[in-house]
Amino acid sequence: MTVQSPPAPPQAQVQGGPAAPVPGPAGAAESGRQRFSRLSSSLRHTPGQLRGILAVLVVLTLGAGVTAATSILGKSAVIEDTTSQSGRLSVAALELYQALSQADASAASSYLTAGAASEEVHDSYREALRDATVALTTAAREVETHADAQLVAELNAHLPVYTGLVESARTFNRLGEPVGATYQRQASTLMRSEMLPDANTLQHNAIDQLNEARDEASAFPWVATALAAAALGVLVWAQLWLTRRTNRVFNLGLVGATVAMIGMTGWLVLVALASASHTERSHEEGSDPLELLAEAHITAQQARAEESLLLIARGEDEKADERYTDQMALLVGEGGLLAQLSEAYGDDPDLSGPLAAAEESAGAWSAGHDEVIKLAKAGSYAEAVELAVGDSDESLATSFDALDEQLTEATAISAERFVDATGDAERSLSGAAAGLAALSLLALVSAAIGIQMRVAEYHA
Amino acid sequence: MILHRSTVPQSSAKRRPRWAAALGACLVAAACSGPVSIEPPEVDVPTPLPEGIDFDPEIETGTADDSCEPVASYSPGSVTAEQARATLGDQDLVVIGISQSTNLMGYRDPVTGDLAGFDIDIAKAIVSHLMGDETKVKWVPMTSGDREEAVNSGTVDMVVRTMTMTCKRWNSVEFSSEYYHGGQRLLVPTGSGIGGLGDLTADHQVCTGKGSTSPRNIAEQSEAQPVTVPDFNDCLVLLQQGTVDAITTDDCILAGMAIQDPTLEVVGEAFSQEPYGIAFAKGNTDLARYVNGVLETMREDGTWQDIYDKWLAEHLGAATAPDPVYQD
Repeated sequence: MTVQSPPAPPQAQVQGGPAAPVPGPAGAAESGRQRFSRLSSSLRHTPGQLRGILAVLVVLTLGAGVTAATSILGKSAVIEDTTSQSGRLSVAALELYQALSQADASAASSYLTAGAASEEVHDSYREALRDATVALTTAAREVETHADAQLVAELNAHLPVYTGLVESARTFNRLGEPVGATYQRQASTLMRSEMLPDANTLQHNAIDQLNEARDEASAFPWVATALAAAALGVLVWAQLWLTRRTNRVFNLGLVGATVAMIGMTGWLVLVALASASHTERSHEEGSDPLELLAEAHITAQQARAEESLLLIARGEDEKADERYTDQMALLVGEGGLLAQLSEAYGDDPDLSGPLAAAEESAGAWSAGHDEVIKLAKAGSYAEAVELAVGDSDESLATSFDALDEQLTEATAISAERFVDATGDAERSLSGAAAGLAALSLLALVSAAIGIQMRVAEYHA
Repeated sequence: MILHRSTVPQSSAKRRPRWAAALGACLVAAACSGPVSIEPPEVDVPTPLPEGIDFDPEIETGTADDSCEPVASYSPGSVTAEQARATLGDQDLVVIGISQSTNLMGYRDPVTGDLAGFDIDIAKAIVSHLMGDETKVKWVPMTSGDREEAVNSGTVDMVVRTMTMTCKRWNSVEFSSEYYHGGQRLLVPTGSGIGGLGDLTADHQVCTGKGSTSPRNIAEQSEAQPVTVPDFNDCLVLLQQGTVDAITTDDCILAGMAIQDPTLEVVGEAFSQEPYGIAFAKGNTDLARYVNGVLETMREDGTWQDIYDKWLAEHLGAATAPDPVYQD
């Protein structure tokens, strides 16, 4: 059974109808005074005191029930949100960022490669473009802020310009015109200076929204717990007071209410702790490594794009070499992304394998790059290109592809964990809202019956 | 408000649900906020630009260094190939600095991947005289900024890379005699109405390479607004995309652009003197003298003419080899 809205007793709609006359401020003050004198006089007698206790209990029990149910419902909604809106947006933004850098790396490699192999690399460019457009479509549907909508629009406007430049580069290259290289470089500049930063910002915005949601989901429901504890306290005190007044040890109604409230409080605390721990797990085992892995992946792709650009510029683009060096330092340098990954997840039985292999591939690539630069600087351009993009085992393309594959594998494992943990968090909450509401109603009814029975004794 | 409405005496049992309803309503209201409406984004028309483009570059001023005769080199004398080879870093291999990205002058043929161009053919002819074998050469690609350092550090034995002989450069390197007489001209779209410097107005943006003398020449001799880019190859893309109205740089480089696009043409008279020379390490006059001898031979036996006709004549018209000037 699921509860769609906080449990409010059905009489509420009848009583709270809009037909009730609304008195002016003077009338309200007067009626307030009247009510206060009536209340204080009735509280001097036991039945009135009993009704007073009941009123307090009603407020506390209902308050606890309503806040508990709404906070659990809120948590479910937030967790659902992390798998839907903000979750989908962050996944889409991440995919977009990755697809764009992959497109850039593939386009540049494809420009350098000749013949059938070039077509193969170009296929991966087309796949990356498809992924990018699909991710952009998803992101466009999920954005909720003006800033994010602006970013998506900018990316949408730039993407066709980028592909146009890449196609011009390809065409000129086929015609044997060197200006193709300049088009390719301009495409990469557009990607590097406009599109990737936009995609990066979008991704960070989405992750911030996700983190905010997660903090909300793992927050402990203090108000509901405090109200429940207060209700319990009042219940216990009321029973002690009644025992003194009436010399009867147990009031079955109040005992029932106490049991129900204990059950409710316990359940609330357990559920809140369980869902918080699952949410935390989704963060630590899921989104944390996912973010780091994606960053490593993108850095590798950008380094690869710069490496190709350097060769496309016939070794005459020093800036490209600098950018390659910067990206590689981020990736494999001391305290770089791969080092961070292996430090954080090196002991993880599933992740350690792909991560270690990724580090090895990146090392082989980095070492091979120096050889490519040496060849290019020495004028052995054809050999340099062959080593960089050829399909031999020593080729940098081989190490880069291996690195790409290993990072993809680790990403898939982390993504699965994220989905599992979020699912667990969602499941741990299922039925809790309804149950908590039912228990607090039960406590309310029991208390009301118990107290009404005593009140009836006075009137009898 | 809802509490104040209870003016009619009621039992507490009846009042209770109202509080609950109020409490519930508040919580629900706090929990769900309404959907946010997003203003439609506004995006400028994207214009792809190369990195480092400057639409309003600072133009160097000051007088040109004319303290010397830039084209005057060393007379060939009687330096033999053997003596010249003795100056090489490696006796069996001459190392030559070239460009791989200047179409028609020194570039990689995109189809074959081989080096080709006017500079390359001139260098090959020198190699076959100097080494007796055209293949005993190592080509080292370099940027224009690397040239002077490369010959002096011994990375290369000579540089054949569209290098203009200037008095300033004579201070750090030795030059051969002039092997190509270039001059700055304009590349414009056919039918643009621009036929030379005089047709340029302040509304015209003229693209040229940063750090060369070209921006200064165009700024001093015309009304046009120079636009500089770090690599002059970017100018061709900018002209094709309509971002700039013309390109100006040395005529042979313009020819290398014009050949890639049939809708462009080189126009106007040259408005600067760009004598190209081969650079050697400062002090290595033996190699300079020997190469000057080879250049003499190439002028006489028609090798120079063949190379010019093969690469440049189609776009720059007929020309003959510049006469050598010697300082001794």
